[in-house]
Amino acid sequence: MQEDFHYYATYCAAYLAGYTHEESMDICYSAQFVDLCTKTLLSKLGAPQDAATTQLQLELADARTDILGLQDITRIWASFHFLPYDLYAQLPRHGRGYMNRYRLICKPNGPLLERTVNVAHGTSLQHVGIAMHVLADTWAHTYFAGTPSLVINNTTDDFSEILTAEDGSSCTKRIKFRHNPGAADDLEQNLYTNTVYQSSEKSIMNLGHGRAGHLPDYSFIRYEYLPAWNNYESIVKDNPSDYMKAFAQMIYAMKFLRGGIDEFKPGTYADDIVAPYRERITGILTKRQINACEDWKKFGEELSGQTIEDFDLNKYQEEYIKADKNGKNDTFIGKFIEGALAQKNMVTAEIVKSGNVLAGIVKFKQLDILKEAGLD
Amino acid sequence: MTLLIAPLMIIFPELGYAIILVVLAFSLTFKGLGTIIYYFRMARHMVGGKSILYQGVILFDLGMVTLSLSDVPKFYVLVYLAVLHGFSGVVDILRANESKKLGGKHWRLKLTQGIINVLAAALCIFFINSYEAAVIIYTAGLVINAFIRIGNALRKRTTIYIQ
Repeated sequence: MQEDFHYYATYCAAYLAGYTHEESMDICYSAQFVDLCTKTLLSKLGAPQDAATTQLQLELADARTDILGLQDITRIWASFHFLPYDLYAQLPRHGRGYMNRYRLICKPNGPLLERTVNVAHGTSLQHVGIAMHVLADTWAHTYFAGTPSLVINNTTDDFSEILTAEDGSSCTKRIKFRHNPGAADDLEQNLYTNTVYQSSEKSIMNLGHGRAGHLPDYSFIRYEYLPAWNNYESIVKDNPSDYMKAFAQMIYAMKFLRGGIDEFKPGTYADDIVAPYRERITGILTKRQINACEDWKKFGEELSGQTIEDFDLNKYQEEYIKADKNGKNDTFIGKFIEGALAQKNMVTAEIVKSGNVLAGIVKFKQLDILKEAGLD
Repeated sequence: MTLLIAPLMIIFPELGYAIILVVLAFSLTFKGLGTIIYYFRMARHMVGGKSILYQGVILFDLGMVTLSLSDVPKFYVLVYLAVLHGFSGVVDILRANESKKLGGKHWRLKLTQGIINVLAAALCIFFINSYEAAVIIYTAGLVINAFIRIGNALRKRTTIYIQ
């Protein structure tokens, strides 16, 4: 997903879940910051680089793809953007190497989602924001894995957009790809950018949904494509429906995190809260545009009656830099870093416990947060 | 190890050139074998996986053919080196630029690496007919990479230990 959903839609969901305007701003800022907190930025701030929650394009181009480098990449992407659905999935006559990658495929409502939300319970608003980012991405990034893998993340070039005519009938229109990251996607010509085909299993080009370009991140699009892993069966991705579920689930999760509900159950949505706004939200999600920030912002400001500041990457940096050594954890970014490390530790530990070495080897030390949540 | 072999290759350029060719030929052969093994381990489950098998067979054959040749024109070796250094250099420069824009601390080293690689690529083109040039550029690349790896290994990093 992109800024329109991670920042503005998360604000709307937080407000509808009962958070105040100020709390919602902290949550949505953190949710969007997950897409920008790189090792380069952390190095500039003098913050621990292990807390990185993403890698930008050129960081990836420069990243090592030996076993340690791949484990580092997998820890980041599987923990924050492609939360694995079933770490114990079984397929007959498939070797261990293949299964290690297959088990990292992201889908919504898996056991790890429940742990993600529970780990954020009773912690900071920043950690709530991180959990919402992870939750939202499980819907957008479904069927891709957060590790470089040709055999999982590759697709054929046959993508078709499913369009609905005014009379309700549907037709398909072929999607064309080009490999020009500098050029914007052209919605009128159905021309999108994706990564170049690379036959190397561990190439960065085969990380996540690169082969599908930005299609998973556009809320308006429904499309059909053929993934590498599904035995020649095509997949239909209905983004408007998935994004609506993501929104409703975020509200439900944040009601739990606020203390309004006793437990968080995957597969549950706050449909009752969304109901009065469903038509409005559907209108935003289905509007054919690359960026829905303006529409979500307008909706959020109508909900709360307050102005939603535009996202500013520099907003909390000085506070962190100027804080003394003992005070850094109390700053906004300090709390974000704590939340990020907790999330990364939890996901990595779960992946390792399942016998999968793609995220590395972890010494099992209990986080106080995990103990308190009864998740040891 | 690289730092030990590289000076010998420069002192004895004919031997050095032969070593480069053997290394390239073995690289192709083992790359081909590795690709074939990858097909049987994983890519056979992938849509369009057969192309991986064809690729592996072709690379393996190319490696075997290169090993069996008694004379490989210098031109091919220098073009290979030029492409390798040129691409690496461009990526390093772009990466340094991005790091500088984001306020990162190590962009100068990356930029220097990039410029050196691009210069090496230019030298390969300029001396396209000289096998001494191929040996010197190849060994210089090995030495520089060795120093960079040593430098990276010794660099301090902050690690958080969660208890």
